[in-house]
Amino acid sequence: MIAILQEYIVDILIGVGYTMLVAVIGTVVGLAIGVLIGVYRTLPCPRNKAAKFFKRAGDWVLGAYVEIFRGTPMMVQAMVIYWGFALLNNGQTLNVTFSGLFIVSINTGAYMAEIVRGGIISVDRGQTEGAHALGLSHTQTMFNVVLPQALRNILPSVSNEFVINIKDTSVLNVIGFTELFFVAKDIVTQTYQTFRTYLLVAIVYFILTFGISMLLRLCERKMDGKQNFKLLGSQNLDAQSYALEAQND
Amino acid sequence: MTDITAPATASQPVLCVQHLGKTFGEHTVLKDIDFTVNKGDVICIIGPSGSGKSTLLRCVNLFERPTSGKIVFCGDDNACQNPRLLRQRVGMVFQNFNLFNNLNVLHNCTLGPRKVLKMGKTEAETLAKKYLAAVGMDSYLNAKPKQLSGGQKQRVAIARALCMGPQVLLFDEPTSALDPEMVGEVLSVMSDLAQQGLTMLVVTHEMNFARNVANRVIFMDDGVIVEQGTPQQIFDAPQQQRTKDFLSRS
Ligand SMILES: Nc1ncnc2c1ncn2[C@@H]1O[C@H](COP(=O)(O)OP(=O)(O)OP(=O)(O)O)[C@@H](O)[C@H]1O
Ligand SMILES: [Mg+2]
Repeated sequence: MIAILQEYIVDILIGVGYTMLVAVIGTVVGLAIGVLIGVYRTLPCPRNKAAKFFKRAGDWVLGAYVEIFRGTPMMVQAMVIYWGFALLNNGQTLNVTFSGLFIVSINTGAYMAEIVRGGIISVDRGQTEGAHALGLSHTQTMFNVVLPQALRNILPSVSNEFVINIKDTSVLNVIGFTELFFVAKDIVTQTYQTFRTYLLVAIVYFILTFGISMLLRLCERKMDGKQNFKLLGSQNLDAQSYALEAQND
Repeated sequence: MTDITAPATASQPVLCVQHLGKTFGEHTVLKDIDFTVNKGDVICIIGPSGSGKSTLLRCVNLFERPTSGKIVFCGDDNACQNPRLLRQRVGMVFQNFNLFNNLNVLHNCTLGPRKVLKMGKTEAETLAKKYLAAVGMDSYLNAKPKQLSGGQKQRVAIARALCMGPQVLLFDEPTSALDPEMVGEVLSVMSDLAQQGLTMLVVTHEMNFARNVANRVIFMDDGVIVEQGTPQQIFDAPQQQRTKDFLSRS
């Protein structure tokens, strides 16, 4: 195994690089897609008849997107999109790297849309009412009050999607994308060391996913901020009594 | 219904509720509610649970769309049509505080002025500190809501509403979610505001507050105003049997 690692270290690192590239970009773009769809689907229903129709139509299209991409394997989606594009363009295939990024992004987007929507719905209605009571618009409320809380709440699910993406990019080998699994297959054809190669690759995958999980857990803790706060101007007697009150809580 | 007693000072109407009705589906919650809020009024609305007090307040700032009748905000016709404009002038303090959990105390108070009134950062922060000092919360600028006690949260919520410079402030049972020992601190802040001449419409179960601070008390039952008058009239000499029953129970 050490020998394989030594000989193919460059190929393996390239594989790791592509795997992480797709996982990172796929997750970030997927989250962005998810936020856009989540925000759209939770818009209040307009009163105007025509606007209502378009909103409904949009909901339907987005619903179909989510269901289709969640309901079919990513490996199949990759083949359909890659070869479908080739068929429509007289055999001219899409750039493999771009295809990989595209497929993982829209696939992740479908999952993220539901995660974000759930996150938005789970923020207490009182938060929205508090903002509306100040005269904030729906958009202002969404971006200043609801989304920050929703995103914090869904961070564990987003991390989960990220880890899934690191592993699932392996299916992109079907379109010849040189991620880690593709590299492994390549090494096997040269060394015939099937077990050792795949065990090595399994360890590399685990280091990636475990490392990322730890990193994201740290991010969560950072985002929660300090557990205590600084009391200002506690010279003043009044503030002191309030401080005592806070301690007693 | 007894006569409305005009306040001693020349009355200047701020908000008129005109023949307001509200039904949810088949269920009629408010019927022909009609009263005027004058500048400087402190009106307490009392009544049994389910009588429609919260619904009335929610109609006043257009959280609920009235089924019939209307809310007239005097001196600004646009505001009655546009909920967002109305809510800049008619603030609301909730039973459950509804402080923004993602923002600290200072930013809870500056969000409205900055986003809605388009105020600059320093100006908004100066304003927020002023009102936070008024409610005794100026040493907690950096605290997040979850680090505060109920009474502290409610005082911040009051400061947050004041930062918008409202002409009327609505309170929906502001002390009902508080432990008994914290009720006093919130009521004393509210009494101070009343003394400074803020116009307030307060739904409350605190009868002592209604008696001592309000200049008018409205008793509601089953979606109608049964009786209204000065605190003395309502508490010492209620005219309606329903009012007497309610007061003897509470
Ligand atoms: N969104 C709604 N849909 C249907 N019915 C509602 C809705 N909001 C309130 N109601 C009904 O309206 C009636 C009055 O409710 P409301 O909350 O205004 O009472 P309240 O006087 O504030 O009572 P409490 O003192 O318990 O707060 C209740 O019977 C309630 O079930
Ligand atoms: Mg109520």
